[in-house]
Amino acid sequence: MAADQADLDASIETLKSEVVSLNQELFELEEQLLYPATTEFAVFVSMAAVDDFAVSAIKLTLDDQDVTSYLYSAQQVEALRRGGIQKIYISNLKPGLHKLTAEILGKDTDGRSLKRTVVADFGKARSSKYLEIKITNNEKQNRPDFAIVEWK
Amino acid sequence: MRWFLLIAFAISPSVLAEDLLPEQYRAGGQDALYGQALFSLHSGEYQKALGLNQALQKRRHKNTPLLKIQQATAQLGLGMSQQAKKHYKKLLTAKSSKLISHGTRAQAWFYLAKHFYNKGMWSTALQAIHQVKGGHLNPQLKDEFHFIAATLELFQGKAKQADKHILAISPQSMWAAYAFLNLAVSYTERDVHINQVDAVFEKAKMLTKYTQHPESLEDKINLMAGQFFFATGRGRSAIKHLKEVSLDGAFTSKALLTYGWALTEQWQYHDALQPWYMLKTNHSPLNQDVQETLIAIPHLLEKLNAKVMALGAFDYAGEQYEMIYKQLEESAKRLNTGEFIEPLLAQQIPDKWGAFAAIDLSLPNHPDRIYLKDVMSKSYFQGELKNLRDLHVMRSQLNSGIEQLAAFEKVQITRRDEYQQVKNDKRINLTSRQLLKLNKRYKTLRATVDKAFKNPSGVGLASEFEKNQLASFKQLNTDFKALDENGHYLQRLRRVEGVLKWALSQRYYERKKEVSKNLAILDGKIKQTRRQLKAAKLAFRSTPKSFNGFDKKVARLRTKYQQQLKRLDIVYQKQREKVGGIVKLDIKKRQKVVMDYQLQARLAAARLFDETSNKHRVVAGAEVRQ
Repeated sequence: MAADQADLDASIETLKSEVVSLNQELFELEEQLLYPATTEFAVFVSMAAVDDFAVSAIKLTLDDQDVTSYLYSAQQVEALRRGGIQKIYISNLKPGLHKLTAEILGKDTDGRSLKRTVVADFGKARSSKYLEIKITNNEKQNRPDFAIVEWK
Repeated sequence: MRWFLLIAFAISPSVLAEDLLPEQYRAGGQDALYGQALFSLHSGEYQKALGLNQALQKRRHKNTPLLKIQQATAQLGLGMSQQAKKHYKKLLTAKSSKLISHGTRAQAWFYLAKHFYNKGMWSTALQAIHQVKGGHLNPQLKDEFHFIAATLELFQGKAKQADKHILAISPQSMWAAYAFLNLAVSYTERDVHINQVDAVFEKAKMLTKYTQHPESLEDKINLMAGQFFFATGRGRSAIKHLKEVSLDGAFTSKALLTYGWALTEQWQYHDALQPWYMLKTNHSPLNQDVQETLIAIPHLLEKLNAKVMALGAFDYAGEQYEMIYKQLEESAKRLNTGEFIEPLLAQQIPDKWGAFAAIDLSLPNHPDRIYLKDVMSKSYFQGELKNLRDLHVMRSQLNSGIEQLAAFEKVQITRRDEYQQVKNDKRINLTSRQLLKLNKRYKTLRATVDKAFKNPSGVGLASEFEKNQLASFKQLNTDFKALDENGHYLQRLRRVEGVLKWALSQRYYERKKEVSKNLAILDGKIKQTRRQLKAAKLAFRSTPKSFNGFDKKVARLRTKYQQQLKRLDIVYQKQREKVGGIVKLDIKKRQKVVMDYQLQARLAAARLFDETSNKHRVVAGAEVRQ
């Protein structure tokens, strides 16, 4: 009876592992199919070593059109602080010149609200384009810095 | 031991809410996949994290030992503790893990111990906690580490080691209250003087202010203290603690029941009725404390010598037990017909699964909601139901995956059609022909225009009559020169000629303006046609063949999904039977208890009926005799 129980538990765990693996395969297939390398455009968010700022929301505007906005939980802010990168937006984009605007809302350690807007003009060729919204710590001025950087 | 179990499960929700992972920062600047895996893991999306982790391991990412730890952590998060345990043990004891820092190692062992502690695997948890080197542990986790270590040592009966850990916990930490509660409970098992036990319970109560839910914990401590003092025959102390339990908390029913018994033990029968009536009227009869009260009330009435009332109460209790028994039987039937567990699973949030995702037990307007709440307080059932919920969620994920694959197939077909359409398009030929025609027309027109507008005097635009007039003017000019010595005729001729030339030049400018406009329109048309031709040519050249190669991938994945679904259905049925078996057994146990109560109530009712009838007979006999 106990052995049956253990077998069932093991089968459930194996199933879980296989389902996770299958879903990952499906996710990869979806990205390849829906966002081909020639048109793929993605925006990431990272926050390195910033202790006195917690991001609460980010709104993205691409070529003067609102494309996405995201609200962060405390756990997700912590995940960013601990080195995580979030893929906030993915889509297909045609070649040419484009403009990305990121509106970042957050709070500092004293609870004061902070709102910053960063803009990036970039060119898109017939290949993937990745941009990263970077929140870093400006040690000299003791405040957070915001920038959009292009991945080479 | 049952005390310890109570405490361990009482704190488990707050323990589960914590993140499991060691402090580990992303090394590469733009290592997107690794960064995303870290983000998912730290933000509690274990399924995504595990999937990305598997992808990283396939690509042989450089941080292999760390990836393995992260994999084990995500597995723990998804309730795959056996696989996680294997990974952790292999990793943390392997030589290859030298790369892992002491801090990370300590934290990994700590989280492993914590997980086994939550799962109720005490000895394995103790083995793991012994591996934690406290000096290397993150200061924020030290109090929790000492708490878990102390509790585990207490489970093993090693009081001295436990005491050391308890003393190491900071009093301002939320863990201090739980630790002192555990200490108090251990004192009750160790025959420590009652005053000391009471003092530790009081200390635990004082420290509840640093916890997340101080009122609830204080209620729990009061109930535990009350139950302990009642069990050891110290009714007054029990009453003191039980009176402090709030009347609208999770522990109210148990506290009211014990409070009544403690008062009964103190011969305060009248006072004891009050909490029991309160319990009976405010809670469902399916609550086991209410069931006990149903028989306890007439028992108390009998003690108060209110035998007729007691007889009525016993009869009422008997009827109630009959009803409860039937309700439990109906619950068992609903379990077989899929009206109990299935509605519960259907209302779970899709994609929320794993060890940390709580089950929504609300079941509004369902006849089994009270029973479910009661049975769910048992942790072993929670674990099994979570496994069933996970399988249910996975099944819906697999089904939605198959639907998604069907949608992908449609996308492919659409793209193939689009491609074929572009390739078969005759637009290029048509546009080329149109462009040629336009160019030809433009050239002819240009030549005519150039010829007409060559002379700005407008002679090119003169009509035949006007041309004849101009020629005759020339002739007349020569003739007049020979005849007219004074030049009168010549002057008049020049005036007439001037009028005609003026009209011609005016016409020239107007026509030129008009023709330029028309030419510009034609030019624009030509340019547009050229652009169209260029675009059509580009589209033809660059039509994406992005549907290529996906046919096989989609088909292969669909087969995998279908096979997995079949396997999952088999396991799901087994787990469903297991959960059903647990509930059936529980229902049977409850029915047995109810039957026992009913038997007692009926026997007592019969006895009382007999006694009260005899009394009537005795009284009646005495009256006759008088």
